[in-house]
Amino acid sequence: MNIPEGLRYTKDHEWVRVEDGTVRMGITDYAQHELGDVVFVEIKPAGTQLKAGDAVGTVESVKAVSDVYAPVAGTVTEVNAELEASPELVNSDCYGRGWMAALTLASTPDLDALMDAAAYRAYLEQEAK
Amino acid sequence: MQTPLYHEHVRLNAKMVDFHGWDMPVWYTGIKEEHLATRRHAGLFDVSHMGEITVSGEAAAPFLDRVLTRDIASMARGKALYTFLLNDAGGIIDDLIVYCLEPLTGYLLCVNSSNKDRDLAWMTGQNAEHALIRDMSEAYSMLALQGPAASAILRACLGFDDTGMRPFSFVVTDTPAYGELIVSKTGYTGAGGVEIFLDAGTAPALWHAFTRGGATPCGLGARDTLRLEMGYPLHGNDIDDTTTPLEAGLDFAVDLGKKGFIGEPALLAQKDRGITRRLAGLVVLDRGIPREHCRCLKDAREVGTVTSGSISPVSGKGIALAYVDARIKDGDELLVEVRDRTLLSVVTKPPFVPGTLQA
Repeated sequence: MNIPEGLRYTKDHEWVRVEDGTVRMGITDYAQHELGDVVFVEIKPAGTQLKAGDAVGTVESVKAVSDVYAPVAGTVTEVNAELEASPELVNSDCYGRGWMAALTLASTPDLDALMDAAAYRAYLEQEAK
Repeated sequence: MQTPLYHEHVRLNAKMVDFHGWDMPVWYTGIKEEHLATRRHAGLFDVSHMGEITVSGEAAAPFLDRVLTRDIASMARGKALYTFLLNDAGGIIDDLIVYCLEPLTGYLLCVNSSNKDRDLAWMTGQNAEHALIRDMSEAYSMLALQGPAASAILRACLGFDDTGMRPFSFVVTDTPAYGELIVSKTGYTGAGGVEIFLDAGTAPALWHAFTRGGATPCGLGARDTLRLEMGYPLHGNDIDDTTTPLEAGLDFAVDLGKKGFIGEPALLAQKDRGITRRLAGLVVLDRGIPREHCRCLKDAREVGTVTSGSISPVSGKGIALAYVDARIKDGDELLVEVRDRTLLSVVTKPPFVPGTLQA
């Protein structure tokens, strides 16, 4: 399971990367693996204001559909348009070209509530039991 | 429960699920890849969870003619038929394939694993003829080798030539390496190929031979998308004991002329009255995937419900089976409600794609 250092993680299996007042987000390797072949990704448009835990979109695989939640409060500033034509990037490169949205970071303390790589790994191991 | 291939699935790192009490693979590498491998070349499916019931003795044919919808007594050895166990209301207790091993006295029924116990209880309760009914599910394993390359793989692995076999025929053949095999020209993918019943002890060896021969291991996920592309119904989703074969458009598997089977009076009455709903295919024009339980709308009126829905890995379009108002015709447009959106869809007679594709 690929869990890069330097990112923050949620219990719903989203990741965030802090980039100069904004955060970029997507779903984790574990999440894409559980979903299987991703065939549609729908993200709320730029300008949408979200509280932490609000649905920021949905990701759909052949088998299932699942909500994606905002890891932190903020406003959507950018949506990964490449996923419209190539949703499989979520499977092949979930931390890179498979990113889903960029959000303004409304409140830095939100980040402290998220897990680091080690804590997320421990969380996954716990969940597997 | 585990099939004899359980350790193979785990070794291949399959994503496993509990399927009606069975630990089964949903996919190994991915549903799309496995699906396309089956359409273009060959897919190998462990379907050992399926139930096998034998019905034998002097009373076998008269009994089966009363509980099944096809003409059983006239079946020749080596012939298979798709048929139903119906309740008195004409509802489908199970859909199954009956194999004639010995005309009049020996039959094998391949039933849905989730329905096997119910089927056995129903048949036992109806068995006034005293046919010998036996649950053979533990003894039999079942592999499905499906796809345009299945014949070549069969020839290479078993020296067995299936090219002259007609659909829904089977042969019993003894092999030195794998024991007695029942090789049947049937399947649930529309891609061609065979299904093989064999001893649970030799199933792993034959599985390995087929994979070495170039067949791609496929899970239940691809099995489901393959059957849906063909419009084949899944019991529990598209048909059940509240739906009749007439509503499901499966009249071909009911010999209404033969007289005297359970459910026949109800079907004759329904045929007289006319059906009010029918199982229809839907192809989605918008971007999105219909799922089970989604409502179908026409002119803002609810006209149906999706019973199976997914994306076609071949066409990339959303496809579904849905019970709709019987007045709705192929070619009509409907809206399918998917979460907070509606998807424009065309009522389309399956299959939604050709069964086999150029590699």
